[in-house]
Amino acid sequence: MKNTIKVERAKKDMTQQDLAEKVQVSRQTINSIEAGKYVPSTVLALKISKVFGVALEEIFELEEND
Amino acid sequence: MKEKSILNVPLLPPSWKKLGYVFIPLPVFLVIGLAFVNPQMDPNEASQIIYGFWAIGFGILNLTREKVEDEMIKSFRQQAFQTGFYWLILGLATLMLINYVRFDRFTSEIFTAYLVLFLLNAYIYGAFQYQKYLSSKSEN
Repeated sequence: MKNTIKVERAKKDMTQQDLAEKVQVSRQTINSIEAGKYVPSTVLALKISKVFGVALEEIFELEEND
Repeated sequence: MKEKSILNVPLLPPSWKKLGYVFIPLPVFLVIGLAFVNPQMDPNEASQIIYGFWAIGFGILNLTREKVEDEMIKSFRQQAFQTGFYWLILGLATLMLINYVRFDRFTSEIFTAYLVLFLLNAYIYGAFQYQKYLSSKSEN
């Protein structure tokens, strides 16, 4: 699953640490999600989309092999 | 899953990690000390002492929570227990096979509860650390 968290962070001028604190996870977790190494739970994905104020499907997108 | 479910595993505070690490070198010194006191000590007994201490040490490390115990770490932990169990079964099967080829029997004196617990906990710890390493390898 690909995502646009890095882009959304850049728009809001947020660091990984800022986002991590807002959604109560570690910075490593945000880094792994951005790198596509870890697929977040629905709850965490919803928290992230809420922080950016955009719809979930605008941030997360299924890939062909998903 | 509800927090009070019997399936919920309570984890030790992060400060317990230090105690876990102490259990790794401790039996080596203990066995050396015992060997001085009793030079006729059975070497198998010494190895069981070491395995026992290491099993406890790795057990503590596996049951100690990380500073930030978020969903990714929880998922790594669950995967580590699954992987550790798989490696244990595979490792024991290999040892049994080697034993059969060399001594014509599957069972061996080395298969003790201490050894199995040590291997299981060591594999779980290794799998957990490896996942953490992989997740931090390509830091942005």
